[in-house]
Amino acid sequence: MPKSYVAFKWSVYALATLLLFALQSVVLNHVRALGVTPFIYPMLPALVAMYEGQEKGSIFALVLGIVCDLLFYGPFEGFFAIAFVILALLSAAVAKNLRSTGFLGGVFIAALALLLTGLMRVAVQALTGGPYIEIVAWTAAVEAAVSLPAVAAALPVYRAIHRKCAVDY
Amino acid sequence: MRKRPINKFWIVLLGIATSVAVLLSVMSYLSTTAAVLPNLAGIIASPFRSASASISETVDNWYGYLTRYDELKKENEELKKRIAQMEADNRQALEDREENARLRALADLREQRRELSFESARIVVQDASNWSSMLTINKGTMHEIEVGDCVVNEQGSLIGVVTKAGLNWSTVRTILDSESSIGALVFRSGASAVAQGDFSLMSDGRLTLTYLGTNPDLVSGDLVMTSGLRDYFPSQLVIGYVEEVRPGDDGMSQIAVVRPDVDVQSLVQVFVVTDFDIVD
Repeated sequence: MPKSYVAFKWSVYALATLLLFALQSVVLNHVRALGVTPFIYPMLPALVAMYEGQEKGSIFALVLGIVCDLLFYGPFEGFFAIAFVILALLSAAVAKNLRSTGFLGGVFIAALALLLTGLMRVAVQALTGGPYIEIVAWTAAVEAAVSLPAVAAALPVYRAIHRKCAVDY
Repeated sequence: MRKRPINKFWIVLLGIATSVAVLLSVMSYLSTTAAVLPNLAGIIASPFRSASASISETVDNWYGYLTRYDELKKENEELKKRIAQMEADNRQALEDREENARLRALADLREQRRELSFESARIVVQDASNWSSMLTINKGTMHEIEVGDCVVNEQGSLIGVVTKAGLNWSTVRTILDSESSIGALVFRSGASAVAQGDFSLMSDGRLTLTYLGTNPDLVSGDLVMTSGLRDYFPSQLVIGYVEEVRPGDDGMSQIAVVRPDVDVQSLVQVFVVTDFDIVD
């Protein structure tokens, strides 16, 4: 595959991710369901890794994680870089064993990514001796639940890019 | 023997991710303003953040116009009444001020002074995450904003404190954030305390007043202000009002739940106190 085509494909992925960032900041940040705001970023590297495999997916996740660390507030500096790489590696490994990477497969991977991110937050809270572990765990679970419907926006976008750019040379 | 390149790849990639995390932490720890990379990322993201904030504001305005007309009309009526009341209070305050100045001159006391320098800023990112309460504003070190500066609304009520200052952006930790801790004073009793963010109350838009002792002199509705102790923050910035007093986690001391004077979620414009000179 020519390098220019690879660059084009990942540029389209980046653009799509930028649009999903806009969806979060313009729309979802103003939504509150069950007392929490949906947070879709963790599902993005997981879905890309599901389609693109472990190597490419996790490099994408690393870059996305660094961007998130530079722009947003995590439990510690570099949280998103580490979390997203782990999510991408696990998602790609799980996706290999899935019968299909269609809509249901995507929902499963997204749910897994959201739950794992919540679990990592709880782990950080527990390790740093922070209070309210139960409330943190509950918030993480509810956040995962209210964020999952956003897979309906993210999945078709990444799926279309994966299909359209899957040209054999 | 068959090689297992994936395992090696996993380790290398996780190593890179960990190195990035360590690098960012060290840079953040060593720098008093935003470190180079976050600063650059903030500068690059500034136009996108501003555009996103403008779109959000426009959408909110349309939504408000369509759905909140009656509510806004009612609020307008109430505000007119409040303005009339405040004008009457203001007239009384002017008379009191003149009297105060005469009495101070008679008693040979220093003249009270309260000079605060403000820098107006717009909120470009409302961190709506469920884990912290932070804001990003569109002014930074090039506008003389520094880490530790107080941020207030147009009425002078405290919103939070600048925690990172980039060239043309800054992040503000609001008083609701669980890592926020500010010296406070109960206006009626003069009792000093600490206004702290609390994760369990953050989503309800409340904070706590701690270090009150075992038998605090507090009633619901008490005004809580900044104490200004040690000159970190200006004194007499309104933090909020006591809502309820209840036992703390240790079961011995008491804490108060405070309703902030500002609605952090609905803020658009803020003012950073870049300098202050107060003599009480």
